[in-house]
Amino acid sequence: MAALPPSDRRPWRDRWSPNGEWVLLFALVLETAVFSAFGRNFFTLGNFFEVVRLSVELGLLALALTPVMITGGIDLSVGSMMALAAVVFGAAWRDAGLPAGAAIALALLAGCAGGALNALLITGLGIPPIIVTLGSFSMFRGIAEGITRGAANYSNFPKALVMLGQGYWWGVLPVQLPILAAAIAAYAVLLHRSAIGRTLYAVGFSPAGARYAGIRVARRVALVYFLSGLAASVAAIVYVAHLGQAKSDAGTGYELAAITAVVLGGTSVSGGRGTVWGTLLGLFSITILQNGLRLAALPSELTGVLTGAVLVLAIVLGRLRSSPRARTSEATTPMKNSQLAILCAVIVAAALLVAGTNIWLVRSLRPPGAAASPAGSTGGRRPVIAMMPKAKGDPYFTSCRTGAEEAARETNVDLIWDGPTGLDPARQNEVVESWITRRVDAIAVSVENQAGISTVLRKARERGIRVLTWDADAAPDARDYFINQATPEGIGFTLTDEAARLLGGRGEFAIVTGALSAANQNQWIAFIRRRLAAQYPHLKLLDIRPSDDDRDKAFAETQTILKVHPNARLIMGIAAPAVPGAAEAVRQSGRKDVYVIGLSLPNLCKRYVHDGVVQSVVLWNTRDLGYLTVYTAARLTGNAIPAGATSFAAGRLGTIEVRGDQVILGKPFIFNRANIDQFDF
Amino acid sequence: MRQTMRHVMLDSHRREISLVAAILAIAAVMAIAAPGFFTWGNERDLVMANLPVLIVALGMTLVILTGQIDISVGSQFAICSVAAGVFARLGMPTPAACLAACLAGAAMGALNGALIAYARVPSIVVTLATMVALRDGLRWVTEGAWVADLPRTFQWFGRSQAASEGIAMAVAALLAAGIGWGLRHLAAGRAVYATGSSARAARLAGIRPAHVIFAVLALTGALTGCAAGLNAVRFNQVPANAGLGLEMQTIAAVIVGGTAVTGGRGGIVGTLLGVALLGIIGPALTYLGISAYWERALQGGIILAAVAMDAVRVHAREHGSLAAERS
Repeated sequence: MAALPPSDRRPWRDRWSPNGEWVLLFALVLETAVFSAFGRNFFTLGNFFEVVRLSVELGLLALALTPVMITGGIDLSVGSMMALAAVVFGAAWRDAGLPAGAAIALALLAGCAGGALNALLITGLGIPPIIVTLGSFSMFRGIAEGITRGAANYSNFPKALVMLGQGYWWGVLPVQLPILAAAIAAYAVLLHRSAIGRTLYAVGFSPAGARYAGIRVARRVALVYFLSGLAASVAAIVYVAHLGQAKSDAGTGYELAAITAVVLGGTSVSGGRGTVWGTLLGLFSITILQNGLRLAALPSELTGVLTGAVLVLAIVLGRLRSSPRARTSEATTPMKNSQLAILCAVIVAAALLVAGTNIWLVRSLRPPGAAASPAGSTGGRRPVIAMMPKAKGDPYFTSCRTGAEEAARETNVDLIWDGPTGLDPARQNEVVESWITRRVDAIAVSVENQAGISTVLRKARERGIRVLTWDADAAPDARDYFINQATPEGIGFTLTDEAARLLGGRGEFAIVTGALSAANQNQWIAFIRRRLAAQYPHLKLLDIRPSDDDRDKAFAETQTILKVHPNARLIMGIAAPAVPGAAEAVRQSGRKDVYVIGLSLPNLCKRYVHDGVVQSVVLWNTRDLGYLTVYTAARLTGNAIPAGATSFAAGRLGTIEVRGDQVILGKPFIFNRANIDQFDF
Repeated sequence: MRQTMRHVMLDSHRREISLVAAILAIAAVMAIAAPGFFTWGNERDLVMANLPVLIVALGMTLVILTGQIDISVGSQFAICSVAAGVFARLGMPTPAACLAACLAGAAMGALNGALIAYARVPSIVVTLATMVALRDGLRWVTEGAWVADLPRTFQWFGRSQAASEGIAMAVAALLAAGIGWGLRHLAAGRAVYATGSSARAARLAGIRPAHVIFAVLALTGALTGCAAGLNAVRFNQVPANAGLGLEMQTIAAVIVGGTAVTGGRGGIVGTLLGVALLGIIGPALTYLGISAYWERALQGGIILAAVAMDAVRVHAREHGSLAAERS
């Protein structure tokens, strides 16, 4: 007999936690202890509730996935379902003019319908859950993108709704807490205190056995997928209220985070084992890790590395503990433990060696000045300036960082550089929240979602933190100054004018954008269209294709454009990786009559500019942008910029103009063969 | 008797048959609506664009045949691409750099394999962990910087584009043929099926399932490295975020290709057809002038429809045969 179903004859330790959650509890305590020691304001009641607030959406998904995985299934579509429900809500509220209550009902209905579709395909047709939900994973988000055409962003919701995601009961308790509590209670009763719950374990343990025992397997399985769709739509409403916006990129990547939490909590991926408590432990060990790393000003990439390590460790340890009984019944390998240990050690060492040499190699290639990073230490009374890019690991923002660090050294401040590592639009809010908790002196944000982040920036200002925006602006009352390197209007118009100049005002062209739902790019496209309509009636925009910020995808899309639209005379790439991708495609096609222009980094395009494939690249000096942002923030924290100032001295940049509440860096710059070699970023 | 034989033949290849039908249907639509789709240049570009997915999918087929899964291939692909670029920049000849990328992939695959086969952690857990850890680790180290300033001999191995594309296609074809043949005719190949069908039965037959699983995952890592190397030489720079979403693409191709997620059933031919189907849907929709905003929804719908149709037919047949038995 493999793993016995929990029975009362087992020791109390196992009864209390049948899945080895002890390991996890220990990790949780360890995390808390470490971050209490190293993080600023980590061990406070306020921060505790912040962590809970950030866990609500993910928690709802993880709770819904627990019974799904207990029955031996999986639901990859929950994140996409969130996007669909959010967009349905937004469309019903704004476009159809329904009251918010009715729109919420409609969104929940959409969630139920999505869950029912999954359930129908899985139980009605007997297709494996992973295949069904892999399909609906694409389809749900696809429908959301189709409805909004990627761009529509519903915001300005009624106050009552926004309170649901951002308000507090009695000043401390997040409003959405009861929703999570209710969901926890409901799932705990369903799984651990009801007959249906017992049958779910039976189904996961052995579907055939369950059927012989008289359980209606299909109905039970259908129920959990249906509930999963419903829970995803509830999460979507909370998410919309939390961010104050509904868009087709809602919940990107949440399915994997939720699955990680569930698996970390000891739920068996093959079914039959798992608890609500385990899932909660898994959930909080992830969110506390994220929160703690931010408060300790450690790079957020560590979250991924550490989560991975904890995930494997928790399960290996859990397995060692649950040992001989389970081990003998399971598949035994004809291999001794000592051999196994040696083999594992060798492989781990080899992997570390590869990783280590990679790190060393990459570091060795970097110019010596850039390697030193002053971020991290927070001792003394030096002002702390926290700066956030839209995405970490994007070469554009990496070059801004170089300038930011330079200014931090000159002005003698501490710089924290952190931001989202993925495409999830809620992440920026979470980082700002933790900076407020940490009480930094100034925050500078490159805004991804204007509607979403403005409320949290206002909160920061209320707490006396100076707030700047750079690269992309928030609502004007949510920040002190905007470091204006170029307006969307300026970028859109400059690109269109450049295209018109090359084509002589007449011809057809196509755009390769970033992700279809990217806010900035969609703004630029709107201004490009406006300029075309107003000034260039003979210039025709043929098609807009996504590159998802992937050079290889931009390459393939451009190849297709060139064949589908042989008349296209110009390709405009409006994301940093899109221009080199498009340029390589044009070069390999051998077409000499197609121009490539766009918005990108000079270093990525230098070769193509010299080879005459790319005619011009529009951008500003990114290093100066980072420099000016930190310089302004440092002056602001020292109160060195009086209200109403029209200019100030910004170090090596000389005198910089201040226009109202905007600090002006200059106009977008056009790089071409004549000048591109003078720039290195 | 002959009739049942034919039934068995049809039955074991039913997914391949419906895939071929789907591909032919798309081809027919394209022939009428956009004949430009069938040019040598377009086919070549399509093959080259899907080559990485194809090579990784070969390994993924083996992994899924043994009843495991590997969702870390996208992250492995990114690391191997960067490794190939870095080695080339340090002055290694390009083929050697590609080989080094293969080895790096094999090392990462071996790490996955050891944890799955010998520490017996479920594969989805292990590869979920390595997917996140490797991707974030790479982002941490490179900070998103591309590997640029590669030697002129890096792109296309310093040969002509046509020659180099020929090499890449030949490598992919050899790998596909070799693995496909090996799965059918070599003891090692049969061991993969045996392990996936029933690990216990396999052990009784003298196979060591743990070794098979380890080998299959390490091989997938090596294939991922090979795909990354062959893909990297198509360009003169290596981005640090390559292979985003590659795991979903390959798994979808393998599963649509008829390999059972529970292991033990499926094969390389199905995977090749799966890669082909998923690879032509996107460009075909572009040729038909369908806006990019609806493409993802249609792709998901087509995948679901394809599997659902298949399942409906199986259902109908099973019910039919049950009825026949009863009468």
